[in-house]
Amino acid sequence: MTTERVPAVADLFSEAGGVAHLHGSRCATCATPYFPRSGLCHNPDCSESAMEDAEFGPAGTLWSTSVQNYPPPPPARYDEPYEPYAVGVVDLDDGLRVVGRMAVADPTAVRIGTRVQIVVGPIAHEEDGTELVSWMFRPTDEGAD
Amino acid sequence: MRDVAVLGVGMHAWGKFPDKSVTELCRDAVSAALADAGVAWRDVEAVAAASSRFSGGKGWGLNGNDVVEDMGSTGIPVYNMSAGCAAGGNAFNVGYALVAGGMHDMVVVVGGEKMPKGFIQTSGVEEETDPEFLRQRCVGMPGPAFWALLCRQRMAEFGTTEEQLAKIAVKAHEVGTHNEYARFRQLFTVEDVLGSALVSDPLRLYEICPVSDGAAAAVICSAEKARQLTTHPVWVAGSAVATARFDDGLPRGLAGTVPTGRAHHSEAALAVGKALDQAGVAPEDLDLVELQDNTVYYELAFPEDWGMCKPGEAEHLLEAGETLPTGRMPINPSGGFLCFGEATTAMGVFQVCELTWQLRGAAGPRQVPDAQVGLAQTLGLGGNGTALVLKR
Ligand SMILES: [Zn+2]
Repeated sequence: MTTERVPAVADLFSEAGGVAHLHGSRCATCATPYFPRSGLCHNPDCSESAMEDAEFGPAGTLWSTSVQNYPPPPPARYDEPYEPYAVGVVDLDDGLRVVGRMAVADPTAVRIGTRVQIVVGPIAHEEDGTELVSWMFRPTDEGAD
Repeated sequence: MRDVAVLGVGMHAWGKFPDKSVTELCRDAVSAALADAGVAWRDVEAVAAASSRFSGGKGWGLNGNDVVEDMGSTGIPVYNMSAGCAAGGNAFNVGYALVAGGMHDMVVVVGGEKMPKGFIQTSGVEEETDPEFLRQRCVGMPGPAFWALLCRQRMAEFGTTEEQLAKIAVKAHEVGTHNEYARFRQLFTVEDVLGSALVSDPLRLYEICPVSDGAAAAVICSAEKARQLTTHPVWVAGSAVATARFDDGLPRGLAGTVPTGRAHHSEAALAVGKALDQAGVAPEDLDLVELQDNTVYYELAFPEDWGMCKPGEAEHLLEAGETLPTGRMPINPSGGFLCFGEATTAMGVFQVCELTWQLRGAAGPRQVPDAQVGLAQTLGLGGNGTALVLKR
C-alpha cells in the first residue's frame, strides 16, 4: 500500500521523473518571473502586463541557507517530535529567486553556492499517515547527499 | 512646508506588564511627553497613533482613539496608522506632515503595545492568496529565519564571523545597561552570547530581539509654538516613508526576481535617503543612528545600505569600537531592540525619544558627545519603511 501524498497547498508545483517544477507566470513583455501565478505584472518599468503561465526549475544555485532550530508558529506544519530542518533561498537558472526547505539528511551541512534541483518531499504527516508535501531543494553537487 | 519641532517626549519602561493595559502604558508615555513639553492635554490639536494588531484599539487598530478617550475626549481628530512594525515611524511621519502642512500647531504621536508570548505569526490571515501564509505553510520560515538567511549570505560574502555577530549584542548591552527604560540591562560576554540557544542558525537567542510591552509618545509642534514654549527645541530636519521596490532581491513571500545588484531592504534605504535629502545631511555626517535591530545582522547591513560606510566595512568599525556612543559611527546608543525587546508599533516613537534626549545632551552615561544630528529608522511587514532626521 503506497502512502498518500497531498500538497501542502494545491496547484503550486508538479513532479515528473524525480524532479519538480514550480507553477507560476512570466510576463511576455518584460520577462519577469512570478511564483505563485500572478494576474498582473508588478514590474513598475513594464510597459504592458502580459501574463502567461510558466513553469520554473528544476535547476538552480543556493543563494543562502539557514536551519529552523525551533518549531515555527502556525500556520507552519511539522511532525512531532520536532526535528530542525534546513531552509534555503535558490536562484533558479530561469531567473526566479525562490524560498523552500532543503531536502538533506544533515541540515547543518548545506553550503551556499551549491547547485540544487527542485524535488517534492514531505514537510509533515497527517494522523492517518498521509504525507503533506511541498517543493524542496536537493543539492546535486558531487559529495552532497 | 513649515519647520516642525519635537517639544517633548516620554516613555513607559519596556518589559512585561501583565497587570497593566496598553491604555495605561500609553497614559504614562503621553503624560510624560506632555510634562516634558510643558503643555496640557487640552492644547493637543490632533493625535497620530500607531495601530496595533496585538493590543487595544478595539480590535480594529483604533489605538489613538483609546488614548483620546482615556486622556480626555476633546473632539480632536485621530489618525491611526497601520504599517506593521513600522507603524510608530509612520505615525510620526503623519504627525509631522499635519504640522508641517499647517493643518495643526500641536500634535501628539504615540505608540503602545502589549505583545503576546513567544514567537509571533508573521501574517494575521490564513488565506492561500496571502504570500506570508504560503511561505509559512509550504516552507515554515518565520521572521528569524528570514534574518538568518540574510545573515548567512553576508557571512559567505564578507567572511563575517559568529564572534563578530556576538560582539554586536555585547555592545548593545554595554550601552543599554545605562538606560533606565530598557528591559534587559545585564551585561553579556561574547561567550554568554555564543552560549545562548540557536534560534535560526547562525542567529542565537541573544542576537535577536524578543517581544516586549512598552509605550512611547512625542509632542511635536510648529516652529512658532516651539519658540514660545522652549529655548532648546529639537528640530525635525527630515521625515519620510517608503515602500519596498519591486526588484530589491530580498526573499520576501515565495519568490521574486534575481536582482542585478546586491539584495537590500529598499523600503529602508529609500526612506533614509529621502529623509537625509530633506535634511541636507550626508550619511557620513550623522552623529548617531537609532536603527531597527530586530537582529544583530541589521547593525552590519544598514549602515552600508545607507552609505554610512563601505560594503564589508561594518565588521571592522564594530571591532574598533566605532559604533559605541564615543565612536565615529554611533549606532543604537539606547541599547536598541536587543535591550528593549520589540513592542512592535511603539518602536518608531521610542527612537524619537532617544534621539531627542541625545540631541539635548541628556542621555547620561550613554550620551554621544556633542550630538548635533541623528537618524532613526523602522521597517515593517508589507515592505514599509520609515526614517526621520532630528537636529539640535
Ligand atoms: Zn511585465
